[in-house]
Amino acid sequence: MNGNWLPQAPLTASGRPVLQPGEVERSLQSSVDLEAEENPRLTPLRSGLLALTTHRLIWIDESSNSGYAIFLANVIHAYPPKKSIRSMFHSPRIRLQVSVSAEGRIGEKGSTSEMITIVIRGKNDPDAFFSKLWDALRSRPWEVEEKNGEVTSVDGGVSGPGSRDGPSNSVWIAMPVVGVSGILRKEQEIWESTDKSLQEAFQDLNALMSKAKEMVSLAEKMRLKLLSGSSAHANVANDEELGSNQEMQDWLLSVGIASPVTKDSAGALYHQQLSRQLADFVQRPLERSGGMIAVIDIYCLFNRARGTELISPEDLLQACALWDKLDVPVMLRKFDSGVMVIQNKTHSDEEIFTRLKSLALKPNALRMGVSPSDAAIILGIAPALAKEHLLTAESKGLLCRDVSPEGFRFYVNLFEEIDPTNTHLVKHHGLFEAWVSAASVFG
Amino acid sequence: MNDIRKNPTFRTQFHEMCAKVGVDPLASNKGFWAELLGIGDFYYELGVQIVDICLATRSHNGGLIDLQELRTLLSQRRKAARESVSEDDCIRAISKLKVLGSGFEVISVGKKKLVRSVPTELNKDHNEILELAQAQGYVTVEEAQRRLSWSSGRATDALETLLKEGLAMIDDGHRDGKRRYWFPCVASMSVATGAGG
Repeated sequence: MNGNWLPQAPLTASGRPVLQPGEVERSLQSSVDLEAEENPRLTPLRSGLLALTTHRLIWIDESSNSGYAIFLANVIHAYPPKKSIRSMFHSPRIRLQVSVSAEGRIGEKGSTSEMITIVIRGKNDPDAFFSKLWDALRSRPWEVEEKNGEVTSVDGGVSGPGSRDGPSNSVWIAMPVVGVSGILRKEQEIWESTDKSLQEAFQDLNALMSKAKEMVSLAEKMRLKLLSGSSAHANVANDEELGSNQEMQDWLLSVGIASPVTKDSAGALYHQQLSRQLADFVQRPLERSGGMIAVIDIYCLFNRARGTELISPEDLLQACALWDKLDVPVMLRKFDSGVMVIQNKTHSDEEIFTRLKSLALKPNALRMGVSPSDAAIILGIAPALAKEHLLTAESKGLLCRDVSPEGFRFYVNLFEEIDPTNTHLVKHHGLFEAWVSAASVFG
Repeated sequence: MNDIRKNPTFRTQFHEMCAKVGVDPLASNKGFWAELLGIGDFYYELGVQIVDICLATRSHNGGLIDLQELRTLLSQRRKAARESVSEDDCIRAISKLKVLGSGFEVISVGKKKLVRSVPTELNKDHNEILELAQAQGYVTVEEAQRRLSWSSGRATDALETLLKEGLAMIDDGHRDGKRRYWFPCVASMSVATGAGG
């Protein structure tokens, strides 16, 4: 195995890397290849062990008991394993940008660089390995020693002041890391590497996105076809066509195009299932809330119950919209104010109005009106929803509102009792009389 | 890709890319994007937490809360997760909640952004009062007249409406006898408690 394009790493007789003082092994991966990307002349190192230490990456070929190392200090950057559809079928790859000396020796200090790919073939966890590699590159443990008064090598081959011999007989030089500038440099590196890893992630996303663009324009065409085709060719529908419609709906949804629920189509299967699930789920909250509950409350309750794989607000709405087509005892209702609620089909507005009117006719209410909280107590529902009912009753002419600093209060509608031809006439019977006697208690 | 949960900048750029392509990654939990990247859970759960906080603070602020205050309360709740939530994240989560019809919306008042969680409609006059209130946390009728060049009737109407909607509180205890309308949604807690009677 001619791996001489990398610095050699001494091994013990039993094939273990000889570690330098203060060097600690962090991770070991099996079946790893190292490839020099830009230089196909350099024979790739195949199927070795890769040891990550605090100072180096060491590739070991067990059969020939040879080892090669890359000093982490000479790694300019590391790219994480890509997560893309393409990469799901390949072994994970970690790419390193390693500095190259003036003489073209890879892995030594210099002004040029070479890209090296680490191919992880075995049953390893590449992400865990990468995060350890990343930690080491960021925290630069070989420099920490230097700060403690020892000198550490950053390059295996050059001599200089303050050198001493290590057990591997290589010569060490000091790498100045002085106070603030050292900290600043670290900060900058973290910044740059974050930026770079973002860029990497975006490279993947960009590739995905360009595919997605094609999918989306195709999907849009299909969606329009679904919308127009289903109503025009109602008679032509057969099982097969319905089946593929269904598939298309689901596929559109997965791309991120919400499939419309029309009177002909039932939307995505996902939403149909969700719809049934929700109809079951809302029973208990409905009971607790007096037969009516705001959709947003169901959103919270349902998602909290789910824990993971939460549904989106749009999923919820689609599912509720489908209740029309299913035989379930619940329905979606929208008030004029825009507030949307889920209520039992058996819920009757008329019944609510009757109760509100009788509440408004009580002597107290004749004098002071009914507030949303009063109504809420009587109806057993939330004040915000009680207010909706009061407003609806008002729109039906049963109640009148009075607005004051204390808020909304509703009174029974007296206007109908007043004779338009004789507005000053005080009737001495019925509702008018009741109001007069209640109001005059104040004197 | 852990990046997306841990990195707000990444999320913003991701959304912009999706918008360009014409894809809504948050449309459905079933969506490929939500599954592959796990961003669905991130935003939908954020939505639930935002609803909770708005509900919990509603009796105090009437259903309008400063976006920054919301973020502070959110980060207190999310301490365990140690994932930072940007303003952009909140705005996106709230825009998704909007479809559920209970009035969830982000509105701009002056330099601030407020999150509304009730279906109360706020007209231009109300907005101007809220903007005025940002300076000291409260507004007087006289101040509204003076600064906005309104009649006293117009100023009183707007302030009284905000009062009845629960967005303002009355403070009549000052020596000068002028009624102050306090707005919890734009007044920070320190301003509110610092003012003497």
